[in-house]
Amino acid sequence: MIKRDYKGPVENSIEMAIEKISNLLRHDYYLSPRSIAILLLQEDEGIRNLVKEKDAADFNAIEQVVSGIKKYYKNPISYELAIERQDEVNEILKKTVRFAKDSISFQERLSRLVMNPLLGFPILLLVLYLGLYKFVGQFGAGTVVNFIEANIFDKYVTPFAEDMVLRFIPWQFLHELFVGEYGLITMAFRYAFAIILPITAFFFLVFSLIEDSGYLPRVAMLIDRTFKKIGLSGRAVIPMVLGFGCATMATMVTRILPTKRERLIATLLLALAVPCSAQLGVIMALLQHNPKAMVIWAGSILSIFLLVGYLTSKILPGDRPSFYMEIPPLRMPSLSNVIVKTYVRVKWYFKEIMPIFLWAGVLIWLARLAGLFDLLINLLKPPLRLIGLPPEASKAFLFGFFRRDYGAAGLYDLNAHGKLDGIQLVVSCVALTLFLPCIAQFLINIKERGWKTGLGISLFVLFFSFSAAYVLNIVLRTLGVAL
Amino acid sequence: MDKKTILPLSKLDLHKKAKISHIKTEDKAMLGRIIAIGALPNIEVTLIQRFPSFVFQISKSQFAVDKELASCIYVKAV
Repeated sequence: MIKRDYKGPVENSIEMAIEKISNLLRHDYYLSPRSIAILLLQEDEGIRNLVKEKDAADFNAIEQVVSGIKKYYKNPISYELAIERQDEVNEILKKTVRFAKDSISFQERLSRLVMNPLLGFPILLLVLYLGLYKFVGQFGAGTVVNFIEANIFDKYVTPFAEDMVLRFIPWQFLHELFVGEYGLITMAFRYAFAIILPITAFFFLVFSLIEDSGYLPRVAMLIDRTFKKIGLSGRAVIPMVLGFGCATMATMVTRILPTKRERLIATLLLALAVPCSAQLGVIMALLQHNPKAMVIWAGSILSIFLLVGYLTSKILPGDRPSFYMEIPPLRMPSLSNVIVKTYVRVKWYFKEIMPIFLWAGVLIWLARLAGLFDLLINLLKPPLRLIGLPPEASKAFLFGFFRRDYGAAGLYDLNAHGKLDGIQLVVSCVALTLFLPCIAQFLINIKERGWKTGLGISLFVLFFSFSAAYVLNIVLRTLGVAL
Repeated sequence: MDKKTILPLSKLDLHKKAKISHIKTEDKAMLGRIIAIGALPNIEVTLIQRFPSFVFQISKSQFAVDKELASCIYVKAV
């Protein structure tokens, strides 16, 4: 397409077409008739449908003007208009702006360093290690959560709630709903305020800092080539990084991806192979004295992430994703912006997540009343035996789905009592990582992707996590790996 | 490289100034992306990096794009 490729009579210029369409528009569109006319010439679908509905009588005449003028241009009108605008901008710039001589600033040097194909990845790992592992994981999810749980909830909130419920609610079965092992106050509220709130606040703080520095588009640029292989573009780095904080929140953020196909692949991978901060905490604690097991675990999860992404992108119909992103200059983040952003996000997140927690609490209560829990624990035993785990692990897995600290405690116990050998430990960690992280993510998958897809993803994850653990168990035992 | 050669941006030498000559694509969505970036004919462009993604500079702005997009923009060395 070469610029100004117009071969028609003057009466058919874009300007004339705009005037003709403006005169045909009778309704009020909030925008000026001229703007509407320009949008129609650029074939904006939304505006076209709106005009079709509001100016139904003259719609055919309008369409004729649009198709009439298109005949005289080899290029799409949107392209012609973009060139017109650009010429105008250049004229104004020429008269008003003088550019300093090009020199490569410190920011630009730093920018090229973090985008460097050799240094970029080590720098990314360092940022993830310091920001996510050290600050969010160890400090936020460890130190701060422990402090809030021990000093606020266990000392004041829980005893107070238990006292109130016992005093004012006479029915035993309702006590369970509020202050039982999985009660709305003792579990849902405590979980939300003592665990999720600090972790997300710390996570969003780091995320906002990274975001405002302009680093994310650079990471997207580094990772695009790899992500293309799994049907995603570099843009998907944002929900994927968020997934290390909370996969439920990250699933909501898949809304920023441009196509349904990309959103689906991202949701599946988040559910399957991106461990959230709580899962990471548990697994790090279980594997920290066994570096070899840690490497096998990380290698397995990363391979599964890439393999499942690759296969899904082959199976799902649709176009290859496209990647384009502006790389803004690197900037020092402004503290007040970061704080406001963090606050707004935590608030938004809470509004989305709180009802889900409460529903989960009610569901668990009903399931326990109906004796479904014991049924599920027994149902889990045979598949666990298949992957080489003792039946006691069943409770840990099921509880892990509802309350991760309980699931973790279960595994700790088994481990501490010497009931798990090295291979069983790494196999259970892989299974637990792949396994649906929590009931909140199960519900958000249904909310974001519809119940058919959401349920489908969950069933696939359930089936796949056991199959992968099964295969890993056999491979490790056959090779005689000593852990 | 011959001064008058027209080649896709993806094949331009790094840090060499060039002018966009034309856009070549039949894909409307792709054209929309290129218009959004502002990579239009007569604009000066410099390629900064080509791996792992293409990064180029137009005036004071930088963009990262994939190979497909970079191959639709044709440039002429200046």
